Amino acid sequence: MIDEKVELLANDEVSEGFHLARLRAPHIAAGAVPGQFVNIEVSASYEPFLRMPLSVCAVDDNAGTVDLLYESMGPKSAAFSRLRPGEQTRCLGPLGKGFSAPSPGARAILVGGGIGVPPMMFWGRTLLAQGLDVTLLVGARSASKHLPDELLKGGTTRLRRASDDGSLGHNGLVTDLLRDELTRGVCSVFTCGPHGMMAAVAALCFQTAVPCQVSLEEYMACGIGICVGCVVRVENPQGGSAYADYSRICVDGPVFDARHIKWEH
Amino acid sequence: MDLSIDFAGLSLRNPVLLASGTCNYGQELQGLTDLSQLGGIVTKTITPQPRGGNRPQRIVETSAGMLNSIGLQNPGLDDFVTHKWPFLQELDTQIIVNIAGHSIEEFGEIAARLEDLDGIAALEVNISCPNVKAGGENFASNSSASAAVIEGVRRVTRRPVIAKLSPNVTDIAEIARAVEAAGADAVSLINTLVGMAIDLDKRKPLLGNITGGLSGPAIKPVALAMVWKVSRAVQIPVIGLGGISSVRDALEFIVAGASAVQVGTASFVNPNAGVEIAEGIRSYCAERGIEQIGDLVGSLQA
Repeated sequence: MIDEKVELLANDEVSEGFHLARLRAPHIAAGAVPGQFVNIEVSASYEPFLRMPLSVCAVDDNAGTVDLLYESMGPKSAAFSRLRPGEQTRCLGPLGKGFSAPSPGARAILVGGGIGVPPMMFWGRTLLAQGLDVTLLVGARSASKHLPDELLKGGTTRLRRASDDGSLGHNGLVTDLLRDELTRGVCSVFTCGPHGMMAAVAALCFQTAVPCQVSLEEYMACGIGICVGCVVRVENPQGGSAYADYSRICVDGPVFDARHIKWEH
Repeated sequence: MDLSIDFAGLSLRNPVLLASGTCNYGQELQGLTDLSQLGGIVTKTITPQPRGGNRPQRIVETSAGMLNSIGLQNPGLDDFVTHKWPFLQELDTQIIVNIAGHSIEEFGEIAARLEDLDGIAALEVNISCPNVKAGGENFASNSSASAAVIEGVRRVTRRPVIAKLSPNVTDIAEIARAVEAAGADAVSLINTLVGMAIDLDKRKPLLGNITGGLSGPAIKPVALAMVWKVSRAVQIPVIGLGGISSVRDALEFIVAGASAVQVGTASFVNPNAGVEIAEGIRSYCAERGIEQIGDLVGSLQA
């Protein structure tokens, strides 16, 4: 982990509202594993004040680059999207704990919702490179909130989509697709997206005794475990102290075994 | 040029400390900053029993700052002694342990139990956390309760006692005088200001605890005024904090009357902020021929 001085190599809108930033960040590129994130300074001013935590979407260790895919949806991401190639900033990373390997012989099913898709792209490419079968299920509100095929295709053997309004792929929830996939042999599930979607994915996996890892998100300040702000309620084994009721997403996660999370529906 | 400063039984390499609740118990900052380049660190609050803290959301970013409602999540004294102290003890920097309790008795209990640990430079008594319902705010906003807590701690410890004061009071100078009379060796101020953020469209508070504590550059002018006011109201030394994010911020607090400063929320943006501020103070003093940092303390021309 390092607070690396990084240079923006690209920062372009790649789909409506989605931007892809490429950083020259050799130290982070050399160390990052799928599921980890960075905390990047988007402005040297006090507005916005805190850094922006973003999942790593791709790394190129040889080129020393890190890709961050993000949706411009608030003042901070807007400020980030205004940084131009050639500009420098500081980036803390790689942060947190990433995904663990699927069960031996299992198919990997990656379930991404909305802006939870980028870490799945990194994980999917890594699993494909290991010769594993990867199915990527993506859910979004509508066709315009889906990332284009060309961004997703490198990280999956098979891509299936669902839209709440039926404008692209399955008309309904991504969990409908997952229910279908779970009937097709031994698999391990990995998910990142809105809390409700992940809770539903976790419940489905629990019912069918399929291992499931979730990558959680919460409002974050430091990203390194010193503020104890970005916590999630976890199953606290009998006899554990009250201190263990909450785990820090930034250092104990962001990837957790879904069974360890106390899901609030 | 000498950045070291001695006051209230503390002997600091330089006047920059990391504030309680912004450096946890030190481990996480390893590799990101050199704690031995600081005057010291103030641990996250320890209570006699473990605490789970408040339910999320605990963080909201605001204009030039942030709100938090952590709620003193901490492992409790026993775990602190077993798992946190061995690391802290080895650090080449002064360790100030921040303590709190639900009652006057609990404050005394934890102070007494810490007497056995060798190497604690001072106790900072948190009578001012805005995020806990029992204790906390009740002590801070009432001068006789504040004094009673400090008296209880004073009675059981030979270590320097620093009372950490809340800005959420009518007259912070009155509280400062009360804890001085009760035996505090120093005061540190300010803790966070009570604040709130709302999701307008949902008509819901953003924080799980509804209200939280405001910190960051937004509160610096408030903190500066209170440090100046308190430093004129008491004889004991003042440690200044509240939004310090730059070298000049830190020096302004010293000029206003602070013998040392604490860097807090700035570490969330830059984990090396404290060390950079300490180095910057050295450069500032060197450039202006200031030989002793103590010469700047309370040097405001007002």
